[in-house]
Amino acid sequence: MSQVQASFKNQSVLLVVTLVILAVVFQIASQGIFLTTNTLGTVLNDWGSYILLAVAQTFVVITGGIDLSVGATVSLSSVVAGWVLVKGLGLDSSITGDAAIPYVLLSVLVCLLVGLAVGALNAFLINILKIVPFIATLATMGAMTGLAIIISGGMPLQGPNNFKLGLPYNIFGVQLPISTTVLSVMIILVICGLFLHKSKFGLYTFALGSNPFATRAAGISPAKHLTKVYMLSGGLAGLAGAYAYIRLGAGSPTNGAGMELYAIAATVIGGASLMGGVGRIVGVALGTLVLFTVQSGLLMVKVVTVSPSLKQVIVAILIAAAVAVQTLQKPGRK
Amino acid sequence: MALKVIYEVKNVSKTYGAVVALDGASLKLHAGEVVGLVGDNGAGKSTLVKVLSGAHSPDSGQILLDGEERTWHNPKEALEAGIETLYQDSGLAPHLTVSQNVFLGREKFVKGIFGKLGFLARKQMEDEAQADLEAVGIAFPSANRPVSQLSGGQRQAVAIGRAVSWARKVLILDEPTNHLGARQSGEVLEVIKRAKKKGLGVIFISHTLPHVLEVTDRIVVLRLGKIVRDAPTSEYTADTLIGTITGSYGSDE
Repeated sequence: MSQVQASFKNQSVLLVVTLVILAVVFQIASQGIFLTTNTLGTVLNDWGSYILLAVAQTFVVITGGIDLSVGATVSLSSVVAGWVLVKGLGLDSSITGDAAIPYVLLSVLVCLLVGLAVGALNAFLINILKIVPFIATLATMGAMTGLAIIISGGMPLQGPNNFKLGLPYNIFGVQLPISTTVLSVMIILVICGLFLHKSKFGLYTFALGSNPFATRAAGISPAKHLTKVYMLSGGLAGLAGAYAYIRLGAGSPTNGAGMELYAIAATVIGGASLMGGVGRIVGVALGTLVLFTVQSGLLMVKVVTVSPSLKQVIVAILIAAAVAVQTLQKPGRK
Repeated sequence: MALKVIYEVKNVSKTYGAVVALDGASLKLHAGEVVGLVGDNGAGKSTLVKVLSGAHSPDSGQILLDGEERTWHNPKEALEAGIETLYQDSGLAPHLTVSQNVFLGREKFVKGIFGKLGFLARKQMEDEAQADLEAVGIAFPSANRPVSQLSGGQRQAVAIGRAVSWARKVLILDEPTNHLGARQSGEVLEVIKRAKKKGLGVIFISHTLPHVLEVTDRIVVLRLGKIVRDAPTSEYTADTLIGTITGSYGSDE
């Protein structure tokens, strides 16, 4: 096994160790109520709403880019789904249970399409107008947030929903921490991981972030590949919008507010390099889990009074620590 | 030379704004021949390489491969036609492994539906990369190591091995011995000789004139965008070559 692979593995090992330490600390600090199926269910539910964005960000970050528009895409796609169901089809939140399933599936499709469209717009700004990804996606983020408010009129659009999809499974009286939505997200995560690490698509993603000139010289079109990557990112953000819709039963213009920063934080904590060329799905999945363990754990601390705002400080420390670990693992490297 | 002309440019010119980078340059390359391309900085070497490799289109002039006129819209078209270029500033993707770099852009896939989805035959590519690099006489560490762990010389060896193993007709090497030590440069020159034996036409661009004199059959000297001398290597000495490059020695024209 190579040293670079080993250091990736180290990153994952470090994250697992961090998770164990966090679990023990919170278990003690919460006087024994942290390590329960309920809490794990809450953590995984939060994790599910962010992991798709973190995965989207991972692909983009590996190419050496960044996608700031993922949070706004969550808002916009969930709002458009809500608009289609409520204003377009004239439905409301009285439709629940099995009757709502076709509409929920429609909302997933609408969200996906909106996300792909936002991704295509980002690709256009980056490839055709030659705007750097940071600025291009910052512009899209602003525009999509505004559009979401305009379309929704600033209010959540409540439509048909089956809340059971977001509730943990209960099999023969045993409650599991996993719901249909979380399970769906996990399946998408695994598929994305396989494509990133085993397929040509993933290889070109790494190659582009590692050395764009060599990639071009090998006959690969950077613009074509970046278009696919930003559309993937948009599509995953759209699916995160569907997750938000199903969770809330409504498309709200605030569904995705601020999510992009957590997604980037999770990506970096998971070991991806903002310089491009480096990143692993396993690391990012664990990094996201660390974030939401901290998030949920702090709410349960009983032995001392903790301000909820402390979580932001801890997230900041985690980001700094993750980047420091990355740098220290590669002595003397550029 | 009895061998056939494999690649030829006729009367190509290229200007960038007011700068005339190439001014009616013509060059013939035969199969199994190594041609040295030399000239001072700004003489037009890089531009000629970009025209030959399909990275830039000339403003005027013809490009002929196997006697047939061709137009390259991008480097990929030239690559697919069998013209492999090693750019001095391109190198390899450091985060990828040796075999991933060797096969970049020409991956092999697993069989069946997963192959159609783009899943890679990693082991097969590692084995083949190993064999390909050994075949062109390059000593290198195992094919599944990331390039970032190799020394400068090893990286260059992999880059050249990649180019030689893929080239079907023409191999263009832009400063392949730059930044290399004496022993590593020697290895690179050996690889060039093997490529020549393989029947490839090789264009060797270098500032290191002893390397040019050692490995080439013919040397083409560029000055201010024009080809000022094109003669068999045996007709040059180190002194006359430098003189021709700088313009202090009488040229063909």
